[in-house]
Amino acid sequence: MPTEQGKRHSVLVVEDEDNIALALDYLMTREGYAHDRVANGGEALTRIREMRPDLVLLDVMLPEMSGYEICQGMRLDPELAGIKILMMTARGSAMERKKGLALGANGFISKPFELAELRAEVRRLLES
Amino acid sequence: MTMKPFALSHLSLRLRVFLFFAGLAIGAVVLLGLGLMLGYRRLGSPETLNAFVQGGIIGSFGVVGLTAAVWYLFDVNVSKPIDQLAGALRARAHADVAAVLDPNVARYLGDLAPAAQATTLSLSETRNALAEAVARETTRLSAEKDKLVALLSDVPVGVLLCSGDHQLVFYNGMAVDLIGAAAKGILPGLDRNLFDYLREGPIRHAHHRLIEAEDPDAASDLLCSTRDGSEMLAARMRLLPNQAGDTAPGYVLTLRDVTADLAVHAAREALLSEMLDRVRRPAANLRALLAVLPEGIASPPAMDAALRQEADDLSKVVTELAKRLEEGRAEAIPRAPLRVADLTDGLRARLEAKGLTLATEDAPLLLRCDGFEVVVLLAHVTLGIAVLHSVQQFSLTIEEDGTDAMLRLTWAGPALRVGQLETWLDAPLDEDAPGLTGRHVLMGHGTEVWPEALADGWQSVCLPLRITRHAGPRPKPIARAVVYDFDLLGKARNEKVAEANLADLIYVVFDTETTGLLPGQGDEIVQIAAVRIVNGKRVEAEVFDTLVNPGRSIPAASTAVHGITEAMVQGAPDIATAGRAFHKFAEGAVLIAHNAPFDMAFLRRHEPTIGARFDNPILDTVLLSAVIFGQHEEHSLDALTHRLSITIPEEARHTAIGDSLATADAFLKLLPMLHGRGLTRFGAVLTELRRHGRLLKDLN
Repeated sequence: MPTEQGKRHSVLVVEDEDNIALALDYLMTREGYAHDRVANGGEALTRIREMRPDLVLLDVMLPEMSGYEICQGMRLDPELAGIKILMMTARGSAMERKKGLALGANGFISKPFELAELRAEVRRLLES
Repeated sequence: MTMKPFALSHLSLRLRVFLFFAGLAIGAVVLLGLGLMLGYRRLGSPETLNAFVQGGIIGSFGVVGLTAAVWYLFDVNVSKPIDQLAGALRARAHADVAAVLDPNVARYLGDLAPAAQATTLSLSETRNALAEAVARETTRLSAEKDKLVALLSDVPVGVLLCSGDHQLVFYNGMAVDLIGAAAKGILPGLDRNLFDYLREGPIRHAHHRLIEAEDPDAASDLLCSTRDGSEMLAARMRLLPNQAGDTAPGYVLTLRDVTADLAVHAAREALLSEMLDRVRRPAANLRALLAVLPEGIASPPAMDAALRQEADDLSKVVTELAKRLEEGRAEAIPRAPLRVADLTDGLRARLEAKGLTLATEDAPLLLRCDGFEVVVLLAHVTLGIAVLHSVQQFSLTIEEDGTDAMLRLTWAGPALRVGQLETWLDAPLDEDAPGLTGRHVLMGHGTEVWPEALADGWQSVCLPLRITRHAGPRPKPIARAVVYDFDLLGKARNEKVAEANLADLIYVVFDTETTGLLPGQGDEIVQIAAVRIVNGKRVEAEVFDTLVNPGRSIPAASTAVHGITEAMVQGAPDIATAGRAFHKFAEGAVLIAHNAPFDMAFLRRHEPTIGARFDNPILDTVLLSAVIFGQHEEHSLDALTHRLSITIPEEARHTAIGDSLATADAFLKLLPMLHGRGLTRFGAVLTELRRHGRLLKDLN
């Protein structure tokens, strides 16, 4: 979806499960965002630095480096400070939400989520 | 003839010896006389009579004098010393006299005196050795008893001993907690019936089964519930060795509260089966729908809607159940509340041992956590940071955050990476607890830990823990005493009070404080206290003591006597509630008060509101004092206790409990005196009291 400046929002999906990544890929395309996907936690920060997306859709359980670690890494790097983070987790307890937000995530959503809910949350973060 | 030696043996030794010598003298005189008479006849000359008589008299005097002299020497040197020696030996045998025997007393008795001396010496030595052994054994036993009492009062299970007819003989503090709460105000007491607290079915059943099994080592596990059914208890019963043989044997009952365990278990089971049930349906539907669709072909609209519907339902069910599971988990962790101060102290000690300093602050909170686990987790993380970033000084702050307390370990230095923290969480925390990792601790407490950067280069690690409640002042340690009287095990019971032995009855000695002296004109009770006497002993731990809201003002003159103000009785129960509790406490007991008619008048006026009658037998220590000391003495409580050398501490005087204690102690001292008067049965005492009843109205 183009903004007023005519620039498309870009989203990086960090998710190791292929099926959900497929669904997210489909959704991002439909919403009109430029998007990409990383399946490995260890590669995420490098990709974020290269791509400088507006939003990172970040899964918590990832191979090599956890979502929390990536989140903290982004917040410790002043150059990445402006990038929004939406964390996704399958467990989604209140404590995990607290932890994610404390580490600098802008939003937190538990799986299984309704697509409408995810879409609204992504929009809210991109437009704020 | 047979009577004579029997009679002689009853005379004293000296008298017998005297009679012996006297007999000898008389015999010699008689024989002398006979001999002279025979000589005189044979001679046949009458003129020699005078000479014969003269010779006979002289001879007789000589024989009597000689015998008397020998008797005297014998008496002084043999008979008397033997008597003295025997008396001295008796004194040493029966009364505990240890003085040395006088050797001069029996110096003509040969070795008898030294031999007796040796015997008494050896007796006294044996006696001393025995006394020492008994004292040593007593000390050892009482030390052992104290240890056992401490142990039994502290075991985290309720322990009860009951006689064969289910009366309590022993109980510990935990048992009071477990079975007392449900009995509505009346705590377990000695010689009370177990079935006042627990439902009898399972207990009787187990008791019978164990008796029939005839195996002294058999134990029976049972589930029983409190009278009101609010608590489920897991119990184990074991029979006591039966000394009497004819009555049913008593038993030990150990109790554990499983109400919460059972409830949590049941809730979990229910959730689990509901979860399976609700997930299975949409999963099966989805599979069926997808199975009939040919692959790669767009699904027909109706089918498509059905698929979406099922997938939607499935994820909603999973979300909802996951939420309920999480809510239930916090409750499922059975942990004793822990004070923040106890936690910070533990952590500081651990860190200081490693050369680190920790500044802590206190917060008036009780946390739901395992102190050891949380302390080792925080210490492990702190040590990791200390090594990694060369930090020496830390501080721990605690702030309230909704239902959680946020523990924050802070230090100045570089930030801690989540990745680093997570590797620490995977490592074992403490060599004393093998297999325990940070992840286990977090999972067990339903929490997470994470680093957070603070302002001005300060760093922190956050650990939220569930708050149980705000801490008030530390509660007074509950008297975890064990209470027992094993004599109750073999006690024969007499159903009829009048025929019962005084010492066998249960007494509740009580006293009230009031707004004034005129129950008929609106004065009311402001305090009731009572103590129990079971088996002739006051049971220290079984005390009833409550303030009562009189529902009216308390005159200053009365407050001056008992010190109870209107403010003090504000939150106190009214007479209906307090009276009911007191009625329960006094169940099955003889009521005793000093000047009982006064206290009973206040209580009986309220019987309708209390909903129970005080129909217990009643004794009055004023009347008992009159029976023992006569009607002309003074019978005030002060006078009576003074006569019996009982001291009431000044601060306890005119408090209901202080006066109850004094009255009870006075009664216990009067009991043996009544016994001395031959008044051993309750009925006999009542009859005697009625004779003195003119002093005061009889209440029975």
